[in-house]
Amino acid sequence: MWSNEQRNRLILENEVLHREDFTQFSVYWYRETDSYEASGNTSSNSGRVYSLAIPIPRGFPQVRPPMYITYPLPLYAANGTPISSLGVSHDMHTLAPSSSGQVQICHWRDNRWHSGILLHKVFLKGLIWIEAYEQHLATGRPVAEFVSTMKEYA
Amino acid sequence: MTNDSQQQQMIREAMKAIAERRPGRSKLVYDKTKRTIVAVTEGAQTPRALNITADDADMFAVATLSAQWLTDHWGTVLRDGMLPVRFSSWDEGDALTQIELGPLPAPSVVEGIVRLGQGSAAPKGSALQFILLPGKGPISDDSTFVAPDGSVHHAQGRRNINGKEESLDTDFVDLQPELAIRRSALLETNILRDKTVLLVGLGTGGGHAAVELAKCGVGRFDLIDADRLTVGNVVRHPGGLSQVGRLKVNVMRDMIYDKNPDAQVTVHPFQVTAENLETIRPLIARADVIICGTDNRPSKLLINRLCIEENNVALYGGAFRRAYGGQVLRVRPKTSPCHECFVAAMPEESTDEEISSQEAADAVAYSDRPVAVEPGLSLDVLPIANMLTKLALIELVADTSSTLKILKADYAAPWYLWLNRPEPGTRYADWPALSDSIDEMTINRWYGIDLARDSDCPVCGGFMESIAASYGLDPKNFGNLPSLPTKE
Repeated sequence: MWSNEQRNRLILENEVLHREDFTQFSVYWYRETDSYEASGNTSSNSGRVYSLAIPIPRGFPQVRPPMYITYPLPLYAANGTPISSLGVSHDMHTLAPSSSGQVQICHWRDNRWHSGILLHKVFLKGLIWIEAYEQHLATGRPVAEFVSTMKEYA
Repeated sequence: MTNDSQQQQMIREAMKAIAERRPGRSKLVYDKTKRTIVAVTEGAQTPRALNITADDADMFAVATLSAQWLTDHWGTVLRDGMLPVRFSSWDEGDALTQIELGPLPAPSVVEGIVRLGQGSAAPKGSALQFILLPGKGPISDDSTFVAPDGSVHHAQGRRNINGKEESLDTDFVDLQPELAIRRSALLETNILRDKTVLLVGLGTGGGHAAVELAKCGVGRFDLIDADRLTVGNVVRHPGGLSQVGRLKVNVMRDMIYDKNPDAQVTVHPFQVTAENLETIRPLIARADVIICGTDNRPSKLLINRLCIEENNVALYGGAFRRAYGGQVLRVRPKTSPCHECFVAAMPEESTDEEISSQEAADAVAYSDRPVAVEPGLSLDVLPIANMLTKLALIELVADTSSTLKILKADYAAPWYLWLNRPEPGTRYADWPALSDSIDEMTINRWYGIDLARDSDCPVCGGFMESIAASYGLDPKNFGNLPSLPTKE
């Protein structure tokens, strides 16, 4: 059961996304399951298309929402192995993949997350990760090398 | 203490003879040379002398029975003439403690019987008996029992060891009055009896706080923790090796009962998750204070939200890595900073947590960058647990007539910091050792630190309004915003 505060927060999150020109992303309400997800398609600087999805956990915003790359699936590393097979990887800045093999981007760890972080900022980190991932594909070097300055705390 | 049964018997006879004011074969005299009391036996060719030291005076085995238990079962005693009783047997039978006195029995249990007078026949094979003989007048010593009908009885304990019967000192105890009188010197008796404490997380800190509050006389406890006691826990946790494998809530429940048998303890063996929030909410609502000693941020943030919503005081305690220090945050809703305010104001301190379990290590590790489990010493966690308990006590007595309520003014700061050592690599690496200086902050001292509330806090402040205003939205009416797009 979602509280009014949570529902209002998600409405506000959606508005902030659009006002920040992140119009490719929206917060959706799934009527049948009364669940929420923020998602959308985006393009990297090179023009490749990616889909990002943030299923909203029941404890949001106190509980960190995971962010998955739902397309392409699977997502391959430079050496041809699925990134999801690496699991929780510091080199690739990933957390535990979804049960269907979607890569989870490490935006904040649980011990750094707090309720003041907006989904806009989470998607921003997702876009940075995608650019770093493409540099990884081009050079074979770990994603971490390209996002090393990405601070976990707000 | 001597183990010579002949010597023991000799001293026993001498002491009994003195107590009963009758002549005996052995008698006690004072040996001026050795400056001790000596037992001598008349008629022995070589006077056999035994030195009785202070330890010897307490050398005889003792059985302790609950006066309340016997009162409750007095009807059975009158009807049947006898009543079975079970004891924890400690130290090879040196101490026999009735099982009903506490929840933690000894590995060895012995059975006995309470008999009303010599008349009733003891069942065959009764190795342990307590014969209640009629007495007169008021309670004269620990072996006297006053029945509900006012009759006075003196208990004679007897046990049979290897076919030889010997007497056994017998003590009746009345738990609550004896426990309360020890607390009453500082804490007014029973002032905490109707208070409820919710403890979330029963690790070293939470477990210690639970026992200390039970000693103070807190009457009701709700305990939340899903973990079981492991061997690795035992070097820090109040629970011991004999309890490994048990749920921590059950271990702590029994330890609370062992200190305060009248306490009401309810256990909740689950984790703090968003799915459990509505189960936890009524526990928070009925508590007088909440102690959160969990080792992960998500649970602290969820508890913080509930406590703010239920307008209840919460205390958050935790040790820094390897317990080089620790902190306690007290949150009085809408009055002092909440845990989210604290996280925003002190991001490093709020993230610096002890990695005391594999689960905690996994939560911050990567598969290609493991994190070691590095718990601190119990010795270094206990100062934090003690402060946690002290602050809880202050909250509990705040609205009572207790003299301790004056402490509320002394502990006005919301955040308390303690360092056990100047840990390299931290901002406290250069802190000096404890000294008599008051001009500098040192290790091994508590510091109460003032923090301001975050007016834009997402939980206790105006976060939504602030964000809305920054985008030119009406901060008072989110209903004007477009509803969310819907998917089936």
